[in-house]
Parts: sequence; structure tokens; C-alpha cells
Amino acid sequence: MIGFDLVSKRYEGDHQALTDVSFQVDAGEMAFVTGHSGAGKSTLLKLLAMIERPTNGVVTLDGQKLNTVRSSDIPRIRRKLGMVFQDHRLLLDRSVFANVELPLVIAGVSPAERARRVRAALEKVGLLSYEKQLPGTLSTGEQQRVGIARAIVAKPAVLIADEPTGNLDPQLAMEIMGLFAEFQAVGTAVLVASHDLMLIKRMKKRVVVLDHGKLIADVPATEVV
Amino acid sequence: MNTVREPRRAPEPEKTKRTTPRHIGAWREHHAWSLSISWRRLASRPLGTLLTVAVMGVALALPLAFYLLLGNVERMGDALGRNQTISAFMKPGQNAAMAETAASALRGRPEVQEITVRTPKDGLAELAEVQGFSGALQSLDENPLPYVLSVQPKPNLSLEDATRLVESMKATPGVDMVQDTGAWRQRLDAIVGVGARATTMLALLLGIAALLVVGNTIRVDIQSRAEEIGVLLLIGASRPFVRRPYLYAGIWLGLLAGILAVVLAVAIELAMAGPVGRLAAAYDGSVQFGGLPGWLLLSVPVASAILGWLGARLVSARQIRRAAAG
Repeated sequence: MIGFDLVSKRYEGDHQALTDVSFQVDAGEMAFVTGHSGAGKSTLLKLLAMIERPTNGVVTLDGQKLNTVRSSDIPRIRRKLGMVFQDHRLLLDRSVFANVELPLVIAGVSPAERARRVRAALEKVGLLSYEKQLPGTLSTGEQQRVGIARAIVAKPAVLIADEPTGNLDPQLAMEIMGLFAEFQAVGTAVLVASHDLMLIKRMKKRVVVLDHGKLIADVPATEVV
Repeated sequence: MNTVREPRRAPEPEKTKRTTPRHIGAWREHHAWSLSISWRRLASRPLGTLLTVAVMGVALALPLAFYLLLGNVERMGDALGRNQTISAFMKPGQNAAMAETAASALRGRPEVQEITVRTPKDGLAELAEVQGFSGALQSLDENPLPYVLSVQPKPNLSLEDATRLVESMKATPGVDMVQDTGAWRQRLDAIVGVGARATTMLALLLGIAALLVVGNTIRVDIQSRAEEIGVLLLIGASRPFVRRPYLYAGIWLGLLAGILAVVLAVAIELAMAGPVGRLAAAYDGSVQFGGLPGWLLLSVPVASAILGWLGARLVSARQIRRAAAG
């Protein structure tokens, strides 16, 4: 579902963010990408979301090589992804419902179908009764769950998250990670960037470790202790 | 704090067919959403929207008011006489043959439509019909009136041609004096022509101003929504999708401004109707107040909406690119 094949990324000013990174994440698999800040975790996710393009190597998403995708096709690629951000990136002047609805609006789903699927997504993250509220009135953890509902409402094949628990206390962080694990369980490929090693260890999922842009370890779920 | 509930039903990963909005249904949903969101955004900033609409509306009402004024000046001119007649009075003592010679000389001129020779007897008969004159005329021993050449120029003669005609009439042998009753009319036509041109230029300039006002409003709006635009693009919205609500906002602003302009113009029309009515009464009712034509009142909001759309179009692509980059 997700593939990196000898992927390198050099930013302007000669900063080498990634060097020859190769790994795959299959459908129904969940993997953490970890490493110190600046190890290249965010760059990895940005390549998947086509916010950046690799300098070398091939990134594939759902069987499609992203190198050959034209700029005008980037929105189509992004609609295959559900993205969760550390700072949730919700629109603060619109209700929880309207926020979660956006990917469905973009996909051209009818209002009745949108309402049904938004409520299903909100129910999944436990916020069904909050649909009319503005995100600003919610706690940080609740906002993050709205962000997750928005990411999964269009049922993407791939879910990626960049430090989704960065602002949360350990209890809330565990809850959020539990949600991701549920999506993995139903066949979604999930890739989560996180530097929280304690949390990662407790999740017992595959861990890809980056250091200074190089992949230094790829630990299968069964070997995480 | 809510706890995370167990999911009732598992989401299936969606294949690509659902995510490409290439069919009519998606197109319709996109437009319906853009339409409502654009309207709600304008309504959420009522003062800003109102000011933009007011500035545009007043700017567009101005040329309409000039149009109204010019139309009525023209009508007034029409009522006071469309056709000018230039009269050449022959010197006293000229006879019929001499008057006819002068008339034939003038008939060859290209500016002339028709020439009637009015004898002193005709003139006396005409005067006799004017109340109060008949008695005075009867007391005259002989007819003091000269032969008169009544020259009807070709229609729509330019001021230069008319002047040339008058000069040549003055130079015709036997002519004593020339009275051009139509010169004022040509001057009025010329003034109305200048006014019409000025109104057109004004309408163009104010149309451009209206376009820029919308453009600027939309530009500021997009700037203030840079973050939202970034999020929309990240979750898979195309640039046309992001842009569409702003184009609709431009159309709304233009339409509202156009309606305001029409309302203002009609108000001006109603305010003018009274005084013009009194003026008409002074001219025996031969002058009638002319309002703005229906086609104009209908086409102003439409044209204004197009201007709004154009203004939004001009700024939105660039601004969205900048917002996306920032």
C-alpha cells in the first residue's frame, strides 16, 4: 500500500533529509516511524502527501508511483490518504460536523450520505454529541479526535499521522493510538510518525527507526519489547 | 472526557472510484456547497459585505443617473421641435420672380430638403390667425411683409453643414436676413452627444472601479483564509474547488451591488418625476418624463454580477497560490 524504494530527499541548502530509505507498509498493517527530531520522519510523510517530491528513488501509494504524478493530479492522490496532524488543523470557525464533512464535500458526496458518514465517523471517535460545537470549545484531545474523524470519514486506504499525540498526556495519547490500531484492524494501512518511544513500545506494532535520514532499524511487531 | 467507544462497524478501505469527482453528481454537489458556503461567508461579515456592496452600488448608480438626465434632456429637445426650419426674409420690394430665383439657387444645395416660398399674402393670413393681430392688420394700407423662403434642411444635419447653409442663404442675392430657429437644437444635440460619450466613459471607469472593489474584497478574504486554504489543499481539494466559493462570492457581491444601483437609480427617477412633471405642465404637456428602460434595469444587476465574478477571477488564482505557499 505504501512503498519507499531507495528514496532520498535533499532540501535546498544541501540539507540531506533522507538517504536511500526503503520499506513497505501493506494494507491492514500499522507501522511507527520514529527517531530524533530532524531524523526525517516528517519528510517521509510529506513525500507520501506529495507536499514534497523526492530527490531520488520511488515512492508508491496504492500501487501508483508518485514520481510520475502531475501537479494537477496531486489532489486525487491526497484523497487516497487520511492525514492527521499534530496541531489537528481544524477550521475553527466551522462546527465539528462541518470540519469532518470536508473530505466528503471534496469527494462530491451527496448531503444525505455526508450526514450519515460524518455521524458514523464521529461516533467512532466518541464525539457524536459534539457535532454542532466549534472546535475551539473542545479539549486538545477531543480536537485531535475530530481531526482523526476527518481523516477517516472518506474511508481512505492509507492513514498517516505526524506526531498525533505530541500535545497530549499519556492517557489521551494511548486512546488516540488505540483508535489508529482499530483502523489498521479493518484493513487500512497506517503510518504514524512519533518520537514517543514509551508509547510506541506499549503499542506493540512495527517500528521503523530513522537516524539522520537513514533507516537504521525496521523492527517487526512481534519483536517489539 | 469521553472515552473512545468500540466501533459498531468497521470502515472498509475505499477504492479509487469514489474519490474522483468526475461525474455530474459530484459537480452539482461541489457547486451547491460553494454556493451556500460563499453566501454564509458574506453573511458572517455583514458590515464588510454591506460596505463593499454600497461602494459598488453607488458607483454603478452614477452612470445610470446621468443616463436618466441625458435621456430627459433629449426628450425635452424633441418636444420643443425636432425639425428646424431656416427662414430667409427677402428684401422689401422684391417680387415673386425674384424670390423664386433665390429659391432655385438654394434648392441645388446638398443640405436642403425642401424650400417653400411664402408670399406676403400667406404671411398676412398667418398673422391674422394669431389672436389680437387681425384688427391691427386690417388697419394697414398695404402689406408690409416680405417674401419669405422657408428652408427645410435635410434631417440630422451636422452643426457645420447647417452653419454653411445659413451662410450661403445670407449670401443669396435679394435676401435681407436669415433666421435659424434650429441652431439651438443642433447645439443641444451636440451637448447631449458630449454628455452621452462622457456617460459611457464614466460607466466604463466606474465599472472598472466596481471590478477592483470586488477584487480587493476577495483578495483580503482569501488572505484572511490562508490557513483554511492550506488545510483544504492538504486534504485533497483541487485549486478550482478552493477557488469556487470566492468566485461565487464575487457574483453575489456584484449582483447585490447591481440591485442596489437599480434601486438608487429608481429612487432618483422618482425624485425627478415631480419637478419634470411641473416643467412639462409649463410646456403644455408636450414634454413627458422618461424613466429608465426596463431592459437597462434588468441588465445592470446581470452586468454587475459578471463584473463581480471577473473581479474575483482576476485575484483568486494568484491569491490562492500565495496562500497555499504560505
